[in-house]
Amino acid sequence: MFLENPALEVDVAPPLGLTCPAAARGRPLPTLQTPAACNCDRLVGVTCDCIWGGMNVKRIVRPLSWLALATAATILIAACGGSSGGGNQPVTFKGTKKVGYSAPLTGQSALYGHAVSQSLKLAADDINAKGGVNGYKIEMDIQDDGTQVAQAVTNTKAMILQDNVVALMGSVTSAQCLAESPIAKQNKIITIDATCNSWQLTTQPDIVNPYWVSIVPNTYMEGTAAGRLAAKLGVSKIFIVSPKYLFGISETNAFLAALKKANSSVQIVNSQSTWYVPFPTNPRWDSTINQIQALKPDLVYSNIFAADQINFIKQALAVDPRFFTKYPMTTLVSVDELTTLGSQYPEGMHAYMRAPFFALQNNNARLTDFINRYRARYNGEYPSDWAVMDYDALTIWAQAANAAKSFDADQVVKQISGHSFDSLRGYKITIRSDELQANVGETTGTTTTSSSYPFPILKDITNLKGDDLMMPLQMVNEIKGNQCDAKAGDPTTANFALCPSWTAAS
Amino acid sequence: MTPGQVLLFTVGGLSNAAYLFIVAAGLSLVFGALRVINMAHGSLYMIAAFVTVVIANQLGAGLGFWGGLLVAVAVAGAIGGVVEVLVLRRVYGREHLVQLLGTYAVSLVVAGGVRIVFGPNYRTVASPIPGHLDLAGYSYASYSLFMIAGAIGIGAGVWTMLYRTNLGRNIRAAVSDPDLLNATGVNVTRLYTTVFVIGAGLAGLGGSIVAPSQAVGSSIDTDVLVLAFAISVIGGLGSIVGSAVGALIVGMVISFGLVIPQTNPFALAFVFIIMTAVLIVRPRGLFGRPES
Repeated sequence: MFLENPALEVDVAPPLGLTCPAAARGRPLPTLQTPAACNCDRLVGVTCDCIWGGMNVKRIVRPLSWLALATAATILIAACGGSSGGGNQPVTFKGTKKVGYSAPLTGQSALYGHAVSQSLKLAADDINAKGGVNGYKIEMDIQDDGTQVAQAVTNTKAMILQDNVVALMGSVTSAQCLAESPIAKQNKIITIDATCNSWQLTTQPDIVNPYWVSIVPNTYMEGTAAGRLAAKLGVSKIFIVSPKYLFGISETNAFLAALKKANSSVQIVNSQSTWYVPFPTNPRWDSTINQIQALKPDLVYSNIFAADQINFIKQALAVDPRFFTKYPMTTLVSVDELTTLGSQYPEGMHAYMRAPFFALQNNNARLTDFINRYRARYNGEYPSDWAVMDYDALTIWAQAANAAKSFDADQVVKQISGHSFDSLRGYKITIRSDELQANVGETTGTTTTSSSYPFPILKDITNLKGDDLMMPLQMVNEIKGNQCDAKAGDPTTANFALCPSWTAAS
Repeated sequence: MTPGQVLLFTVGGLSNAAYLFIVAAGLSLVFGALRVINMAHGSLYMIAAFVTVVIANQLGAGLGFWGGLLVAVAVAGAIGGVVEVLVLRRVYGREHLVQLLGTYAVSLVVAGGVRIVFGPNYRTVASPIPGHLDLAGYSYASYSLFMIAGAIGIGAGVWTMLYRTNLGRNIRAAVSDPDLLNATGVNVTRLYTTVFVIGAGLAGLGGSIVAPSQAVGSSIDTDVLVLAFAISVIGGLGSIVGSAVGALIVGMVISFGLVIPQTNPFALAFVFIIMTAVLIVRPRGLFGRPES
């Protein structure tokens, strides 16, 4: 009865008694003969979306006649009602609540926004399959911000004021988060942040938002991990390249502080005014590559990311295929950069990563299940660090909101602050009450080719514990107490390296 | 700065200027002949880059790239032809704002289409000219040198087309007096389409040539368009020589500006400061002609 043409789209649960044959994995499934024979999940629009044996397959169907369409739609809507559920056990919802995410689906950070969006949709479906949150079905409200701060602000306002979201997921860049946070705070909307990570977002007095929870290693933690990694390499001349905005400056400062603490004789070969490149950048990196050639450092420290890192690596390798052998690099990496460049990604890069699945998978059945389901649903894509972290972000919020039996930000924060949660990373993460920062770890290692994946992974992996990287509590309190300001009384000039506890220890 | 470093940064500036010139030349040609500011120029550049990457990755970076380049230029030109017929013919002679909005709308449609067809992920392709040249202690990418040579060749080709062929003579005549040219029996409507197709092809050529040296994603259209406009304004919209000079200025300002500590924080700003200064002192650009 159904021909291929967009007209009716339904989500259906696995056909009763059927499993997906292994041979069919990755291939189109046979057209469903009778959608009504499937247990209906929900009517979403106009494609038949069938989750079958762990696969999610779009089925576009057209009835032979409008009568057939109307009949089929009536049957399906009647069968579905307002219910949803996993497998064959439908769950009744009171209604739908939206969770907002201003995503860079285009622009410099599109790589990351794509992964996060996919992961959040998967997390929302998993949450709904377990009954949703406080009896409500959760729906992601994802709006493209083009990696632009102004658009992120517009999206945040629209999601809060028009779409009535009950929570937000933090955007990708600190520049966006810095702009979104006051809006969320003013409207008392909790934000779970799993990507942008400047420590200022949770600690600097003029920025702090009591409803902002960070479950990503912040720039202090990450910079410290990178600094210790560089110190272990025993280099003496370092070249710095970093994006010129809050994240880059914040992380570079933490890197330098940790590095100097471990090795005070290390020399930065480029002038401080050339450390930072405009963000988003010109896609040509000739100037930076040429500066590195001219200054001949022992190590390049970078926290450039996404399209910038890909362009930099490609252009450096074009200048000299042995560029990164001559000038080894310590850099922030995510699975996204590795998969995008594939075999072109250089070996021997000293990487620090936030949540690479391949380094966290040992004895971690939950992560393995997530990887399998993510890949089945998204055309075989591997989940990036951002996908892993944002899945955690939404599920942590859902657990807390369920525990609070409320969507009220104060109530939900109470259920997060000081509490521990299971995570895809394979360990429990605890949100420190003082600044709502999770004790999440960082992974370091050296890139190497892999026989298991079509992209490089890490060797000599060290999964650093979050507790060993977090900003000392005393320092957090000193920053919050305006004791670390370069200009007294001006929290915008706060620098942890000026804190009494830091200077005393140095 | 040693002489070797001056050479290093100069070549860096030239390779930057090379790809910008190829894109800006098409933009300038279209404005010069049709008096249309084509906001969709970056979109054609982006489509060509994607087409090149897809074909090169299917067939291999060597022959696949060159085949991809030809197909990409043809695709960009064909899309340009369609845009000219369906959109621009309706806005010729109208105020620039209408033209801007029309071509901007096209760029939005293309951006959406590209995301649907090619997806949101960045794509890369290996360089078809992978070698490098070592000189005075520094390395230079062979592909960058190819881009510089390619830009010079394309510039010469466009100049020759404009000043040494019947087509070029007709284009220049159309700029001066399209009605008179029409009266002489030249099909000006078709001529405009031809010019736009050539301009689109140049955008495609730029996208195709730049593809092996950077990640190709759905936002590279705006990345290049801003600088291409700055070049065109500095050099003079409508002037190919102006585009070349403008690209050189922008390429060198970025290259040297970023490596000199005192100018680094303002390197990109300098491009727009120069553009503003040119607009104030000589609004038609260094080599542009005043609009009649």
